Parts: sequence; C-alpha cells; structure tokens
Amino acid sequence: MEISEVLVQPYMLRAIAGIILIAINASVAGSFTIFRNVSFLVAGASHSALAGAALFILLGVYGFPANPLIGALLFAIATAFVAGYASKEETNTAIGISFAMSMSLAILFISMIREYAAKVWSLLIGDLFLLTYEDLYLITFVTFLSLMIALLFYKAFLFISFDSEGATAFGLNTRRYNYLLLSLIAISAVMLLKGVGAILVFAMLVAPAAASNELASNLRDVFIYAFIIALVSGFVGIAISFFFEVSPGAIASLLATTIYFFSLLARRFRGD
Amino acid sequence: MVKGKNEKEDIEIDAITSKGVEFGYGEQPVLFDITFTIKKEEFVAITGPNGSGKTTLLKLILGILQPRKGEIRVMGYSTKERDKIMNLIGFMPQKEHISSNFPILVRDVVMLGLGARKGIMKPTGKADEEEGIQAIKSVGLDEEIWMEKFAELSGGQQQRVLLARALAIKPEILLLDEPFNGVDIPSQNKILDLISDLRKKGVTVLLVVHNVNPLLHHIDKIMLLKNRIVAFGKPDEVLTDKNLISAYGASIPIIYCEEGYAHPVYSDIHG
Repeated sequence: MEISEVLVQPYMLRAIAGIILIAINASVAGSFTIFRNVSFLVAGASHSALAGAALFILLGVYGFPANPLIGALLFAIATAFVAGYASKEETNTAIGISFAMSMSLAILFISMIREYAAKVWSLLIGDLFLLTYEDLYLITFVTFLSLMIALLFYKAFLFISFDSEGATAFGLNTRRYNYLLLSLIAISAVMLLKGVGAILVFAMLVAPAAASNELASNLRDVFIYAFIIALVSGFVGIAISFFFEVSPGAIASLLATTIYFFSLLARRFRGD
Repeated sequence: MVKGKNEKEDIEIDAITSKGVEFGYGEQPVLFDITFTIKKEEFVAITGPNGSGKTTLLKLILGILQPRKGEIRVMGYSTKERDKIMNLIGFMPQKEHISSNFPILVRDVVMLGLGARKGIMKPTGKADEEEGIQAIKSVGLDEEIWMEKFAELSGGQQQRVLLARALAIKPEILLLDEPFNGVDIPSQNKILDLISDLRKKGVTVLLVVHNVNPLLHHIDKIMLLKNRIVAFGKPDEVLTDKNLISAYGASIPIIYCEEGYAHPVYSDIHG
C-alpha cells in the first residue's frame, strides 16, 4: 500500500485525530499540572481510571451495559477529590494510596471477569490504532469542554497555582477552584487512556508540558510548546510504528520524555 | 441598615476592631480574648513566638477564618461581609508559600490581583495594565521589570512585586505577612520607606513579623501575641522584660540603641 493510501485509511485518520486531541490535553491540562505541581495526580488518576473501567466492564457482564470510559472518569475524578481534600503536605501520599486502592480493585475486578480481562489490559497498554469513532466523539466532546473550562477559569487556576494563600486573601474560593482544576487534570488523564494506555499517560500528559516549561519564556509559550511537542511526538510515533510495527504510543512517549531531558540540559547550558 | 450607613459616614471609624475574639482549629484555642482597636493610618507590627497565632489573626482579619466567639470589624464592616472587606484590604503573603517554578511574569502576578478584584472571569484591559505598571513604579521598581519572569528576580524584588500586587487595588488597609523574610537590608529599607509614604496617603499598615528589630524605628504600635494579647501599645511599653518572658517563656536581653529604642536580642529563641 502507498503511504498516501495508508494516510486516508479510517484507522489512520482516527489515530491522527487522537494525537491532535492528546496534544490539546497535554497542552492545557499538562501545563496546569506543572504549574500546580501535581504531576503525581496524573499517574494516580490514570491508574484509578483502570479500576473504574474494570468495574463498568464487570457491570456489563452482569447485564448493566455501560461505557467503561464513564467508569474510568468517575474513578479518576474521585482521585482528584481525594488529592484536593488532603492538605498540601499530604497530597502525594493521598494520591498514592488511592492509586494503590484502585489497582487492588482493578485486579480484583479483572479476576472476576477473566474472559473479558483483555478489555481492561487494553486500557493499560492502549493503542492509537484501535480508537473507535465512539471513543473519538467522547474524547472530542470532553476535551472541548475542558478547554472551555480552562479558558473561563484561566486566571483563577493560575492564581491558586502560584499562590493559593494570596488567592484566598484576594477573595477567590481557592478550595472550589482547586477541586475543579484537579478534576480537569484527572479527566484529561482519562482522555489519553485508550490511546496510549494507563502506563504511558504520564509520559504523554506531563512530559511535553514539563519540557516546554523549561524552554518557554512566558506562560503562553508553555501551552504552545507543550502542544507542539506532544503533536510532533505523536506523529513521529505513528510514522515509526507504521514502518516497524511497534507501539506508536511507546515511541511518542519515548520521544516526549527524551525532549524533556534535552530541554533540562538546554536550560542548564543557557545558564538560567 | 440605613442607620448603620449614616453612622459610618458621620463618625470616624476605626480601621480594625476586635472584640472578645476566640478561634481554634480543635478544642484548644489558638487565639482567645483578642480585643484591640487599630486606628486609621496606624502602622502596627504583630509579633510573638512560633505558634502564637500571628498568621491566624491575619486570616481572621481577612475573613478567611471566622471567629468562634466575638467579632472583628474592618472599617466598620464585619469580616463576615467578605466582598466588602476584600475591597478594602491589600494582602501580601509570605514569599515562601509561593510557587513560581514556571515562567509567570511580573505582569501576570500583578494582574492576577487586579483581576481577582475585578472578578476573576472578567477580562482585564489596557487601563488595568496601566494601573499595574503604576503600582510597580510605586514600589520603586523599573517599568522594564514588567515583562520579566518572577522567578528570576531577587528576593527583595519579588517581595516588592507582591507588594505592588497588593497596592494595585488601592487598599485602605495593607496586611503584610513576614515581608522581610529573605530580603536584604537595602530592600527592607525601601519597603519601609514605601510604607511611610503610604501612611501619609492614609493607608493603615499591619505587619506580621517574628523579628521586630528592622521596624522598631518606624512603627506606632506592637502587638505581642502568645495565643492572647500579652501587650499592645507603643514599642517601648510592649518590649519589657516582663512581657517578653510572658510571650517567649524566657528572658530576652534588651539593648537600647543610640536613639533610645528598646531592641530585643532574640538570638535563637524566636523561630
């Protein structure tokens, strides 16, 4: 098959759309993850999401059909609320414990539905080429919604990330905005689940923004560079996987994380 | 309500009044029996050992926390009326509580304050930006700093940017939490000169500090806290051996400078 023919294959178009959506999430939620300094939430939420998905698959087996991504969303948001509820010093421990609890539940659910376990494992590894139209509609809708929320509350999110004490003193409902921001980040983590898998969500959501945070000279550029880094990593992942039949998500994540390390070096050499 | 409003216009109201305030997170009160009056244009330092309730008192004045007994009024308004008092108070937090591991610019920092006051979801325009730049100039910083990264400024400059953010909203009362932490002596003096100018313009200034020495020559009053008010008054009346033992649980040597001010020598007693 010619490359031009491959490029218009539905599965390829869906993968490309998936990459664009991932890049938007990596830019918006990724950057705020760095600003708010809650990168561990991304790891926690994406793995908690697995348990939610497993539960919904289990419910399906017992005659209550439901989209596993909805279960994933619910569990991820629950993790965000646990993180928001905990004090600043306890945030990471609280995320870690809900991470562990969710994984226990995930494994428990999987053991109850052995014949469907592959469905859950597919969310652990993910595959850009297996995205369905239904997945894409849901991801597009949710991504658009998060983008709107981020634009609307941009200043509030920035204020609580920079200086939550000051934000409260200046009259913001810091607690409420914190829950909203953490939920937004957790939801974005779920949006990447099907495409790159729970294991690699961290790499694709956090690494591009972490790299751009090192390179950018203002906030706007953090968002722009994060989008570009995620997009380019994703496209390179798809291209290489086409020629060598390896996981596109893995290549994309490898590239995004490598760019982070180079950006660290670049910043050191620049002497910042 | 109407009567109350008229009263406020007719008689001179105090900047901050606290009557029998008690506050605690658990059963044990962090603050109790807090009664004081701070008049307009006064410059007051709140001091005391770690855990004496200094920052808690600031939070009560800001209305972030509500007393479980008693009442605090700011320019005549109860701290329960947060939208009213927020427009009257400019706040500068401790620099240590700020996280700037991202390229937030001085402009962003100052505009966050102005934006919050305007309504955080409303856009800020050229006029607001002009006010922000004026605030930066008013704290003695160059206009060029406006587009620089906050994280790359010196500690003293960062502190002044935070002060500019508080001043940009043109507050009647300024609350500063440990404004001199990590700030060198020349920057401390600049901040103090600025506060003197503000008082001439009618601003009431309240600072929380663990070390009153840099301020002694400038302040009107000291409030010495140890979960209650140990003493409140002119520096020399407050900084006596008896009061310091009562607050810190240990004798703190006092030296008198050439100008006759009593300076406590905290050594390692304070936090």
